[in-house]
This record gives sequence, C-alpha cells and structure tokens, in this order.
Amino acid sequence: MALQNNLKFRFFWVIFIFVLLSGCEQDDICISEVAETPELVILMIELESKSRKTPPGFLIRPIGTDSLLTNSRNDSLALPLKRNESNTQFEFIINQGQENENIDTLQFNYNRWDRFISSACGFSAHYIFKENPLTLLNPGSDWIKGVIILNDTVFNEKNAHLGILY
Amino acid sequence: MHIWVFCISLLWASSLLGQEEAPKLLEESTQDSIVSTPKTPLTLRVGVDLYRPVRSRIDDAFQGIEWAGDLLFRKNTFIAMEFGSIEVTKQTEQVNYTTLGNYLKLGLELNMYENWEGMNNHVTLGFRIARSSFSQTLNSYTILDRTPFWIGYDEPVQSGFSTGMRENLNAFWVEAVLGFKVQLFKNIYLGLGLRLHRLVNDTIPDNFENIYIPGFNRKTDENKFGASFNYTLSYSLPFRFHR
Repeated sequence: MALQNNLKFRFFWVIFIFVLLSGCEQDDICISEVAETPELVILMIELESKSRKTPPGFLIRPIGTDSLLTNSRNDSLALPLKRNESNTQFEFIINQGQENENIDTLQFNYNRWDRFISSACGFSAHYIFKENPLTLLNPGSDWIKGVIILNDTVFNEKNAHLGILY
Repeated sequence: MHIWVFCISLLWASSLLGQEEAPKLLEESTQDSIVSTPKTPLTLRVGVDLYRPVRSRIDDAFQGIEWAGDLLFRKNTFIAMEFGSIEVTKQTEQVNYTTLGNYLKLGLELNMYENWEGMNNHVTLGFRIARSSFSQTLNSYTILDRTPFWIGYDEPVQSGFSTGMRENLNAFWVEAVLGFKVQLFKNIYLGLGLRLHRLVNDTIPDNFENIYIPGFNRKTDENKFGASFNYTLSYSLPFRFHR
C-alpha cells in the first residue's frame, strides 16, 4: 500500500510539471530591427542641371490631414502613403511664402499588397505603382515637369522609388 | 534548448519511476524445464481522450476530439495509435487565425512496470510517427508601422488583402511518449500520455505561417520541438485473440 502511495505521489508531480511545461508558450517579440511598412522615397531632380537638388522654398503638404511631414532622408524625401486607399495626394510647393509661390497638387497611384513578417510582428504593407504612378491634379503653370520610375514597387526604404523632375 | 534538456531529464527521472521493484511472491514455483511460457493473447483497447471534449465545452474557440487505441501483441509491447480532429481559433497580438484539421499518430510502446499478480497497470515509453493535414485561415492581422501618419490606420485588416484560407497543408513529425495507464475496473483503464514532439517538415502556407498544427500544437520559429498530453479513458475489448 505504501508503495502504491509513493508511486501516485511521484506520478502527480510528473504530471504537474509537464502540464506546466506544455502550457508555456514562448512570447515572441517583434524586435526593433525588423523593417516596418516602408514609405515612398522620392528624389527631387532639377532638369536643367540634371542634379538631385531640393528646389528653393520647397515644402510638401499632405492633403487630408493637418499633420506636417517630418521625415527627410538626406537629399531624398519619404512620403507616407495611405493604406486604405489606392492614391495619396500632396501639395508640392516651390518658393513657399514668396510672391512667385507655385503649388502643384500631385497624386500618387498604386495598389497595395501585404507581406507576412512573423507571428510576433504581423504584416508589412507594400505598394506597386499603377501604370501612371503620378497625376497632376491642377494643370497650368506647372513647375513639376515629370516623373522617373526608379523602382516600381515600394518594398523598402533603401533606395528611392520615384524621381520628380522640375 | 534548455526546455529540451529539462524535458530529457524529466523523462529519464520518470523512467526510474518505472523501475519500482514489485515485491517477490512468497511462493515461487520451481522452473520445470518442459514448461513453456504462455503466449500473450492479443488484446485490443480503444479509448477516447477526455481533455479535448471538456475543453471544447468550456472554450468557445476550441473544438476537438481524439480517439486512442492500442494493441498488445507481445509481452509488454503495444502498437498504439491516436486519431484526432481539431478546429481552433487563436488570437495573438498581431494575427487572428483559425486552424482546422486532423491528425494520425502511430507507434510502439513498451511497458516498463512490473505488475503485481492480478493487476494490469502500465508505465510505458514509446514513440509515434505522426501526420496532420489541415488548413489555416487568416481572419485578421495588423500592419507593422511604428510611425503611423494617417489617422485611423492602426486598425487591423479584416477582409481582403492577405486574409483568407490556405488549404491542403500537411505536417509530419515524431514523438516520444511517456504513458501511464491505471486499471480502474476489469476492462476500464485511465491513461495519461506525456509527449514531446519534433517536427520533421510542414508545408508553409502562402504568405503566412503554421503557428499551430493540429496534434503538434504550437510551432515556434526558433526550434522544432513541441509538447502535448492526453488523458484517456479506454476499454479493453472482451474478445482476445488466441494464437
């Protein structure tokens, strides 16, 4: 009888520890090095000098919000795209605040697809430009002359995706 | 890694448990050189896991059942099999998904426990080879964006894009099983199985992952090990096949 009790006692502990173990699930964490949803990276290219140069008095104002853009990556600029729509509009302003201020309203056109990162991080959104990636919404005395597609997919922020010519 | 070391030592310690010496019988019949040892009759036991149906009742997100059986074909040696069916919906921080599928496990078990006369309890060590086929349905997910700009865009994606079902997925793994079976009544046994799994391969769903596999439970990124248990009530079928 004592033997059986001893057996049952050890039996219980083995189960207890095991149930504890099998209940443990690792908490995956999304580390900060994991790249998140990329923003559209553009370069401003002056046609005359064929150089990457920011125009004088340059400002980009996003349409649809009062927030201001804060990101700039050296000589290229990062624009956040709207995820739930297939286009985003910005006002591209030259000589801002002066008499010869000129505002071109540009609209970027794209489709979105989501890519699985991990169960801890979720998904990342990416954008593929439509055939016409850029449309000018207020034609007439435009200071923006055209666009070059450097990369048809916004996959990461390592390189610029579009070059805006002026 | 450390969990694996821990589990191995646990398994080893439990196997010591099985080495309990049964007290010697007061009378030992002298061996007759002509007497041959009786052949073990084939004994079939079928049972059902109790944990999964109970959990199905109390957990809305879980529906599952598991049938278990074993066949004694040699002294202290069993062929064992489990068959189960699971549908479970899980929500992690970033994704909500439903896994639906079934699994089949087949293996051998060895009884390590010396019974007293007239008793039939087991402490078994064994292995299984297991296969599951299932589907993963991604119900909703969040998009990683540490600096969201546009208002209201931290809401999860609930339709379209990458949501939806990924079908025809399979997984294959091996298990080490520590089992305990206690004879409650003449033909009724209560059993506990503690299992360690090692994933061999699985088909990766399109633009997603097998976070959970029926029969294997949670699959992690870093290692391919998992654990599970079952708690069975079995019935030993009355007819025994005599060879």
